[in-house]
Amino acid sequence: MKIGLEIHVQLPTRSKMFCSCPTTDAEAPNTHVCPTCLGMPGSRPALNRKVLEYGIMLAKMLNCKVAETTWFSRKTYFYPDMSKSVQITQYDNPVGSEGFYSVKGKKIRITRIQLEEDPGKTKRVGDLSSLVDYNRSGIPLAEIVTEPDMSTPAEAREFLGLLIADIRHTLDLPGDGERSIRCDCNISVGKERCEVKNVTGLKNVERALSFEVVRQTKVLKAGGKVERETRRFDEERGVTISVRKKEFESDYGFIDEPDLGIFRIGKMAESIKIRESPQNMALRLAAQYGLEEKTAKQIVSTSVGLAELFEDVAKAAGVGTAASWIGAAASYWKTFEDSPEGRSGIVAILRDLSEGRINDVEAGMRLRSFMTGATEESVKAASADLDVLIAGYIDANPAILDEIRRNEKASNRIIGHVMKESGGAYSSADVVSAVKRIVDGRL
Amino acid sequence: MTSDLQKINDRYSMFSALAPHIPDDAEFLFSAKDNLTSAGIETRCGSKILEGYRPAFDAAAIEKMKKSGGGLVGKTNMDEFGFGTFSVNSAYGIPKNPFDRERSCGGSSGGSACAAAVLEDHVSLGVSTGGSVCCPAAFCGVYGLTPTYGRVSRYGLIDYGNSLDKIGLLSADAGRLKKHLPTISGRDPRDPTSCVQPEPALSGKRIGSVAVPKEALDGASADVRRAFNESLERIRGMGADVETVDMPALRYAMPAYYIIATCEASTNLARYVGMRYGRQDGDLALKFDDYFTSFRTKYFGDEAKRRILLGTYTRMAGFRDRYYAKALSVRRHVIGSYREILKNYDAVATPTMPFVSPKFADIALMGPVESYAADRLTIPPNLAGTPHLSVPCGYDGDGMPIGLQLVADHWNEDVLISFASDWEGMFDSRRAEADI
Amino acid sequence: MDREIVARVAKAAHIALTDEELDRYSKDLADILDYFRILDEAPGEEGVGVNPVDVSDVLRDDEPRMDIDPYSLLEGMSTYDGYVRGPRLS
Repeated sequence: MKIGLEIHVQLPTRSKMFCSCPTTDAEAPNTHVCPTCLGMPGSRPALNRKVLEYGIMLAKMLNCKVAETTWFSRKTYFYPDMSKSVQITQYDNPVGSEGFYSVKGKKIRITRIQLEEDPGKTKRVGDLSSLVDYNRSGIPLAEIVTEPDMSTPAEAREFLGLLIADIRHTLDLPGDGERSIRCDCNISVGKERCEVKNVTGLKNVERALSFEVVRQTKVLKAGGKVERETRRFDEERGVTISVRKKEFESDYGFIDEPDLGIFRIGKMAESIKIRESPQNMALRLAAQYGLEEKTAKQIVSTSVGLAELFEDVAKAAGVGTAASWIGAAASYWKTFEDSPEGRSGIVAILRDLSEGRINDVEAGMRLRSFMTGATEESVKAASADLDVLIAGYIDANPAILDEIRRNEKASNRIIGHVMKESGGAYSSADVVSAVKRIVDGRL
Repeated sequence: MTSDLQKINDRYSMFSALAPHIPDDAEFLFSAKDNLTSAGIETRCGSKILEGYRPAFDAAAIEKMKKSGGGLVGKTNMDEFGFGTFSVNSAYGIPKNPFDRERSCGGSSGGSACAAAVLEDHVSLGVSTGGSVCCPAAFCGVYGLTPTYGRVSRYGLIDYGNSLDKIGLLSADAGRLKKHLPTISGRDPRDPTSCVQPEPALSGKRIGSVAVPKEALDGASADVRRAFNESLERIRGMGADVETVDMPALRYAMPAYYIIATCEASTNLARYVGMRYGRQDGDLALKFDDYFTSFRTKYFGDEAKRRILLGTYTRMAGFRDRYYAKALSVRRHVIGSYREILKNYDAVATPTMPFVSPKFADIALMGPVESYAADRLTIPPNLAGTPHLSVPCGYDGDGMPIGLQLVADHWNEDVLISFASDWEGMFDSRRAEADI
Repeated sequence: MDREIVARVAKAAHIALTDEELDRYSKDLADILDYFRILDEAPGEEGVGVNPVDVSDVLRDDEPRMDIDPYSLLEGMSTYDGYVRGPRLS
């Protein structure tokens, strides 16, 4: 089974792609429109610089080759929401090509990233006519096209989930980044593929693909042929429906867009630095500091700030200290106001520890007080009791250490004991990190 | 004023719409081809499909003419969307040649040339894609200037071929070209292709040398040959060297031009579907494909359909490389060929048109190929985006005007403007009789 | 020129042709393309960009602005409740 995706991402510019109309939500239909996005005779496009910049960022994030020179093309097709009956998109020399994106160590190849304009929105009025709102017309999109490298609907969902998280991080997409992302899904169980157009949301992508797997498998088992066609996904019923057969598809007759000129983006691409994506950061942390990939991912998925703290501590106090204390820091992370200044406070405490100025009990209390804002006295009192409980259990059951050496899950017994003994006086996160710290110290 | 214009228009049909009001304090009067948008005045490009379109904005060129004191008197008649050489493909009347009303004004800016020839102290904005300024200028015996591609903002120009369209000037008086070229030139952020031009500078640079392509007189009528050869003598008399050169690239210009022009045109015209502007009086209960098809079938004229079909065909998958891609590469070759020649010469001279304006009865008998071929001398500089000028240079036995065309290098309108001024001083051009 | 191809082109271009028109345009297109055959032997030049002068890197800043009142644009349009009216979708 082969699955490939075409992902449309709305780029977070303030004005539209080819005109200055605002991209914010409009109070009424057709109020964020001008001659250009209405395709009125005599109007013409002028490209928003930010669109190229975002395109380059995505190309870099997806390890693509960024084109030295890029330009736009006209794709001609007739539909009421496409005001010029021409979509300005990219055909030859798109902004990025030949990239890849890793999911669980598997590389999904990225064919291309192209920049294009969104059409307006249509609304059906019974069966008699339609109504069109062009507020969305001209909103910039990046279309990311993958090779058919995914082999299950679940994998496609996982790919998309990670990708969306990374895109949100790289472009600083506001709020629910998933909503501004639409997906065309190509899937073939046998030889011929179908395309399910315009699916929104991770769950729906998996549902639509799973439905297609079943449908295509059934057709093939019955000795039939899967027809090459375009389908759409009915979210309510959870089924895909044939829209048109491929051979009747319109001929787009691409030509180069003559109103915009070309863009020599080599220099621009050099000057644009992107924030490391969470996925890449996790992989790098694992490789650079010898962490398990799972641990590195946990750290990054808690927060990129936490991962940055890990790196700061590793630099100042050694990787060992960073690895044993990142769990404790993670347990206080929710209440901690992340900032570079705050992080340097934590680094200072752990440097004191690694250079022997304080012991780890002291470090633990200062860390907790610093990150939660609780007074040192109250922390001291509570944590002394907690440490005593833990140490007491280990002293009474010294064999537990050997068990933990064989299987780290054995430390759950200590945690369970302490939780029970203390009657819930400590948060599970506190207990977990304290147990880890004390056990690590004794092993 | 308006009633006088109405009378003149009844006789010549140069206007498709007259301005409802001309400002009293206008320092000069001008007209504009009907493919330039004019706020509040119906703008229809000679097409039925745009009937009722009242743009909300003035084209940049019209806006600039008004700002410099111009009063817009009307919108001039044209071939539908610029598709033609004789202005006979218009839904709103056919402009008649001021020298002989049985004959064409040329096209597609026929109405503009007619207005420039008939009205006193007038200048008209025309648009050239493949020769639509110089051809009618030659046929109506006036001066016509097509500046370099990108010199004049195309904001507000209703597109034919966006990589070819250029806004130009027509007037019976060469001085008006000189005066108004700076008015309409300049960078405009609303048209990115206008934003790469150097400052327009008219320093009065004289033409020192002129190249005449060997093929210049192929297929030209005897009158045109005579007038052209006399013109070359005059140019020598002005102190310029005239030499014959070989420009084999020119013969490839026409197919390359028609392919690029119609490919672009067929995408530009895709937007006319009976929604948003122009005619919108169809049956919305039809499925969108049928609804769109019904409008386009009913309201596009014959030549528009022919060019849409040609353009759609030559950019279609499977044919695109042979036609569209090849045409682009040939265009680069033609540009290169001009660049080579214009390194050594200030201008390239040919007749503007191979014959004088034909009679409407003869035009009706022409097939598309024959009529496309009439543009063979105006097409090369249009394809190359090089500035070019037509000046009246003689008359045939029936008194019909003949034009001389000069082509200069990109951005070098300077030599053309000074040539036009010098020429005006030594050539007695005839005014058409307006009879009013 | 194949009638079938012209019919396909006309369909893509959303223009309906009668049989007579199909014949006529097929012949016209055949004549024109025949005339264009000279292009096959024409020398070309590699390059990027379709404009006859170099137009590169002309960009606009990302500043939202509305110069024309959108309601004035809608005046000439057939609308309902602020929406532009269009034909049936399917």
